[in-house]
Amino acid sequence: MTMTGVERILKALNREEPDTVPHMELGVDGKVREALLPGASYKDFVETMGLDGNVIFDKVASWSYEAVDESKRIFRDQWGALVQYGSETIGHPIEPAIKRERDLDRYAPPDPDEQWRYRSLKSWLRRFKGDRAVIAHVTDVFDIARESLLGDVAYYEAMIENPELIDRVNEIVLRYNLRSIKNQIELGADALAITGDFAMTNGPMVSPKHTARFLIPALKEQVALAHSLKVPVFKHTDGNVTRILDMLVETGIDGLHPIDPMAGMDLGEVKRRYGKRLCLMGNINCGATLSWKSTEEVRQEVKEAIRKAGYGGGYICMSSNSIHSGVKPDNYAAMVRAIRELGKYPLQLNAFP
Amino acid sequence: MEASILEDLKSCIIQGRRDDTVRFTKEAMEQGLQGIEIIQKGLIPGIRAVGELFGSGEYYLPELLVSGKSMQAALEVIEPVLSKAGQSFSVGNFLIGTVKGDIHDIGKNIVIMMLKGNGWNVTDLGVDVPPEKFCSAIQEGNHDVFGISTLLTVTMPAAAQTIQALREAGLRDRVKIMIGGAPVTQEFADKIGADQYAKDAWEAVQKAQRLLDQSR
Repeated sequence: MTMTGVERILKALNREEPDTVPHMELGVDGKVREALLPGASYKDFVETMGLDGNVIFDKVASWSYEAVDESKRIFRDQWGALVQYGSETIGHPIEPAIKRERDLDRYAPPDPDEQWRYRSLKSWLRRFKGDRAVIAHVTDVFDIARESLLGDVAYYEAMIENPELIDRVNEIVLRYNLRSIKNQIELGADALAITGDFAMTNGPMVSPKHTARFLIPALKEQVALAHSLKVPVFKHTDGNVTRILDMLVETGIDGLHPIDPMAGMDLGEVKRRYGKRLCLMGNINCGATLSWKSTEEVRQEVKEAIRKAGYGGGYICMSSNSIHSGVKPDNYAAMVRAIRELGKYPLQLNAFP
Repeated sequence: MEASILEDLKSCIIQGRRDDTVRFTKEAMEQGLQGIEIIQKGLIPGIRAVGELFGSGEYYLPELLVSGKSMQAALEVIEPVLSKAGQSFSVGNFLIGTVKGDIHDIGKNIVIMMLKGNGWNVTDLGVDVPPEKFCSAIQEGNHDVFGISTLLTVTMPAAAQTIQALREAGLRDRVKIMIGGAPVTQEFADKIGADQYAKDAWEAVQKAQRLLDQSR
């Protein structure tokens, strides 16, 4: 029997075999969508292309911004940081909210209970609930506290020189996120995505000791809340996470995205080591393959990924980050076709160890 | 005594102890050590060790930043004395910027910090820099190495356009070109005609030095 998209995603997140390898994305850029389906809304695109779910990205759907300098595309985000928009949907922080530690004493965080924040989620639920996975989302505490509240450099320095300051800012963001997660799940979200990089191409951004001290506890608390509300969680982090993978698994996450091939992460190796405990997601290279290689090379890469990680279920085939504006639309279409063609269970790829 | 205070300075840099670094730098100067000697025998061995620890995966961004800040604080103590004596300390001139369309700067800023810590004189053109701005900086300045930063896949073509613009302006051979950023590879660097690719800040410092040695 054919499964619905939400059934596929939930089966895969539970490390089980769906009817076919599921597919969704953290985001598909407007230019790519427009090239493939001119005039279609995002929801129509998801339906027509047959994506099994969609992540309702907090920075786009539920954060507030005020314009500071529209000619330079500079805005103040809801945490008080200045962000500038370039070629991508998400802005880049250029000035943090907290410039001196004493600014924190009178800092007023945003209110996660404002109902307008959930309008987008509600409209996705109205359209797709029970059919495709509608996935709640928060940007991780480390990401917001570092980028919006303190700024990269001050955050990294304080990890060594003023750890109590990190605890304070992390706590502010964690309180917001926990409330946001609860609200989103109570409205009917099927799963939770937590994004925010913990690693770079060469390895973790901060030492395993600092990862354990400052990053993992907040992630664990968010995962525990979602689990207590009966929804699975996946974590997204670019980069090479090999050195902190055990810690990530210990937080209880159900899935990990994107097993970054550009950072040398080996999908087959991660499947062998963690496939019983983690649903693996992603790995189709959006830097090279989807951006400038041929559609045949895209097909081969999808085949290889399904061969390495699809056996026994527990794999969601996705790009290695998102379908950004530099992805060739034909390559994305070829990727979706290949997943549908090659991803049917039982898999016919002679791949099983 | 001299050896011991220079050793102490090296340790302070490695451990990122900013206040102690400044204190020992002042003490060393009071003891009559020359600024250049303090830099070459105390501070630079320290920051090189930090770079190696970062390169080998023992140090991460926080340790690198705290050590880099300590190094900068010490240099701020020494530089006024050097310039008063008509001296300066610089291994070479480095021009850097993030390409047009890309507004990321954290990676670039860490590279700058490491370069400065290793004695480079750095000119930073900032982010979202159009090719013509790079060209005029190279035309007007006396730069040994030009570092191009691109953090996004979508802005990688802008790196190629920048090098092409240098070629068209007849400026390509005036500088050695390095490129870095998350989506970049050596293959890409070769394809667009850069001299070197660096995967991280420490590799950037090492390769910049090598390019400088080759060109002199």
